[in-house]
Amino acid sequence: MKASQLFLSLIKRLTTSVIVLLLTVSFLFVLVRIAPGDPSQKFLSPSLSPQLIEKVKKTFQLDKQIHEQYVSFLKNALTGDFGVSYSFHRPVNEVIAEALPFTILFSLSAFVLQLIGGLLFAVLAFRYHKKLWDKFLSHGSMLLYAVPSFVSGLFFIYVFSVQLKIFPSSGIRTVGILENNYFPLLFDYAQHLFLPVLVLSLTGLPVYFKYFREHFEESQNKLFIIYLRANGVSERRILLSHIIPNSLNSIIAYAGVDLGILFSGALITEMIFSLPGMGRLAVGAILQRDYPLIIGCTLTVGTLIILTSLLADLIRLKIDKRLVKGLIN
Amino acid sequence: MFSTRKNSYLYFLVLLSIFVGCKRTPTDNNTQVVIAIPSDVERINPLFSYSVNEANISELIFLSLVKHSWDYKTGDIKTESMLADSWEWNGDSSAITLELRNDVQWSDGVPLTIEDVIFSFDVYSDPVVESYLYGSFKCFYTDNDNHIIAEKTFEKLSERKLQITFAPGSSPSLFNLDFPIVPKHIFDKMPRKEIATAKENFAPVTSGPFTLEKWEKNQAIILKENPKSFLHKDGNVKRIIFKVIPGYNARLTQLKNGEVDLAEYLKPEDVSGLKNTGSLVVASLKGREYDYLGWNNLDPGQFKKNRNIVPNKLFGSEKIRQALSMAINRNEILSEYLHGYGELANSPISPIFKNAIDEKLMPYAFDLAKAKTLLAEEGWIDKDRNGILEKNGEEFKFILTISSNNPRRIFASTLIKNTFKQLGIDMKIEQLELGMLIDRINNKSVDAWMASWIIPIPLDLKFSWYSHLATTPMNFPSYQNKELDALLDKLETKISWQQKNEIYKNIEALLYRDQPVTFLYWIDNIVAYNKKIKNIEITPLGTVHHCWLWQ
Repeated sequence: MKASQLFLSLIKRLTTSVIVLLLTVSFLFVLVRIAPGDPSQKFLSPSLSPQLIEKVKKTFQLDKQIHEQYVSFLKNALTGDFGVSYSFHRPVNEVIAEALPFTILFSLSAFVLQLIGGLLFAVLAFRYHKKLWDKFLSHGSMLLYAVPSFVSGLFFIYVFSVQLKIFPSSGIRTVGILENNYFPLLFDYAQHLFLPVLVLSLTGLPVYFKYFREHFEESQNKLFIIYLRANGVSERRILLSHIIPNSLNSIIAYAGVDLGILFSGALITEMIFSLPGMGRLAVGAILQRDYPLIIGCTLTVGTLIILTSLLADLIRLKIDKRLVKGLIN
Repeated sequence: MFSTRKNSYLYFLVLLSIFVGCKRTPTDNNTQVVIAIPSDVERINPLFSYSVNEANISELIFLSLVKHSWDYKTGDIKTESMLADSWEWNGDSSAITLELRNDVQWSDGVPLTIEDVIFSFDVYSDPVVESYLYGSFKCFYTDNDNHIIAEKTFEKLSERKLQITFAPGSSPSLFNLDFPIVPKHIFDKMPRKEIATAKENFAPVTSGPFTLEKWEKNQAIILKENPKSFLHKDGNVKRIIFKVIPGYNARLTQLKNGEVDLAEYLKPEDVSGLKNTGSLVVASLKGREYDYLGWNNLDPGQFKKNRNIVPNKLFGSEKIRQALSMAINRNEILSEYLHGYGELANSPISPIFKNAIDEKLMPYAFDLAKAKTLLAEEGWIDKDRNGILEKNGEEFKFILTISSNNPRRIFASTLIKNTFKQLGIDMKIEQLELGMLIDRINNKSVDAWMASWIIPIPLDLKFSWYSHLATTPMNFPSYQNKELDALLDKLETKISWQQKNEIYKNIEALLYRDQPVTFLYWIDNIVAYNKKIKNIEITPLGTVHHCWLWQ
């Protein structure tokens, strides 16, 4: 397959993605403005003058027609300016740039944990196929999948924070800890993130476990595996060199989308553990009718989902060259 | 010898034990207080103290000319000196002369002067700035845009003496001077329009008993003592940390755990658990918030069509509104849900203002028989025996709109629905997201709703009860009464406090009689704090108030 064809198909895909993002943002731009309520509502208070509300509406350009607001937004957006957040009073880019690194770190940690955990448990279940371990893990994963994160979150807080007092119950670090002390600070972060990462990964772990386990089971009856087995290749080698690599392809496609969704913020986990991530930021923006921030969050998350999905496809291409044709078509 | 697998297990155990065994830096000690807040503040600039937390933080790091505290004996506010060491009103109270302290500096070392005071009045009232006080300087000489005219208002008598002259006919008080002074040398060098988004709103130059040590966005705001402040006293609290904890359960857990020293707005059902910890004191702040059931006094359909004000078919009559108030068992809600952390409301005038209320006025008693009689007198009778009252062929049915995720209002509205049913009134409950509910109340498109007001101090009723709907957008029930308007206008004239209190009593009687809304109950703000905090005083002015005095 020619590299130029591949490059062209990538360009096509990225162009389509940009158009999809633009349409989404445009739709959202109109939707939030025609929905009931507006950002000046929070200025409705006995201690504030009604004249202030009128002033604020003008500042937010809410007195203008929607199409005028949209044209102004597009002009600014083309220069990378998504406006000033109504609730943070800083450029939207700056506000998102504060929440995004944490979300990426948090989501990636949970993602890696659920991927590795799912794989390890699937290997264990496969090794003890139809034995006690297998049954225990299969039923256990179903149970884990059925438990919502707000239940597991509160349970872990009760056990590890309230009763055992091992882990802190919220925040990303101890308030007021000395910053120049590198190791205690790192440790503090790790301690604060342990429970949230665990809770977030517990919802995805059973899915990966199921995926891997089913693929392992399918693979073991395939002819090439039977052939290898007949040739005396060890079970360990069959698993590590043949079954697992063959299972990765479809899992990577799922993982790409899953990681993108994780980047959009794990609202419930962020709320339970008071974490400053994208989920909390986006929901806060919606509740406060912070239009520029809603658009900014949507655009950021949309871009991340597209990029992770693309990355997953590129990894799959690297693993399986047969997919190049499919991608181009 | 260990096998490889056993070795791995051992390494894992060692790692885990190190991980959990490392002692966390304690968040609490005897010199700092951690206060839980549900959301981060937007800016730390008193010009934009739109929320309670922003105002609380501003009060700790910026000084005002005077300060106010609550006098339980008189049920009123008393004024004490702050930046202004002393003051003197002229004969007819049309001007005041202030003498400023000479020992106050900004945190960057620049002295605080009269220029800062004059600048503050100017910038707070500047329409371009959009400060939280914009439009509130009615006692001052202002231009058409409500901007204070400095030349007419201020006269610098000496380096420390300033005279402020008020607009003729106004009724000024020291409350008109109680707001934090901002540094002129910081904000004067930038265009006024840019103050709202200036970087100084996140790293302020301050003058109060505390300074901003650090602001960890969405995590905590850390204030440390300012030893140079004249309010500083050895032995008092050295650090105050406002910790952002969005979830109620997380706030409760941390309070019980000792990770947090003070939390507000706790639920009555959690009080016994908090008391059982043994380390917490549970108190309540009374009389600042009341729940009410709003009746749309005008016909929403007619109003939507052509802004016509036509009395509502159901709630336009005071007799019907009285009947509805009698058909609500408010005592049951108080005891079943609020567990006694509240009291019945008669009017929007809080019982904390002892001199402004008529103590003999008894709350409307729960009396279904009397309610039925009143409704019958208005022509609402169940002629067809279908269980619903009718008048002129129209049934007595309406929708009560409440905000979702408010268990107290869901509980109360369910009880009300049941008792109304006994009376022959078909009430449906609709739950809406708060923003949508506010939008509908604002547009006057709801039949009835349940909401609350947090009352301002000093007492202000005009913002929600004056008849002119265009200038009183917060008159949500659209109640119109000329007699009440005259009383509200009179409150703004130069009259004595005794006369004012008499007027308040008259207003209370009018609102009690007309029941433009059903005043349900005053809700206590339940506060729990660690026993280690001494000298804390929880007054109607707030929990985190004058907390540089905490020990």
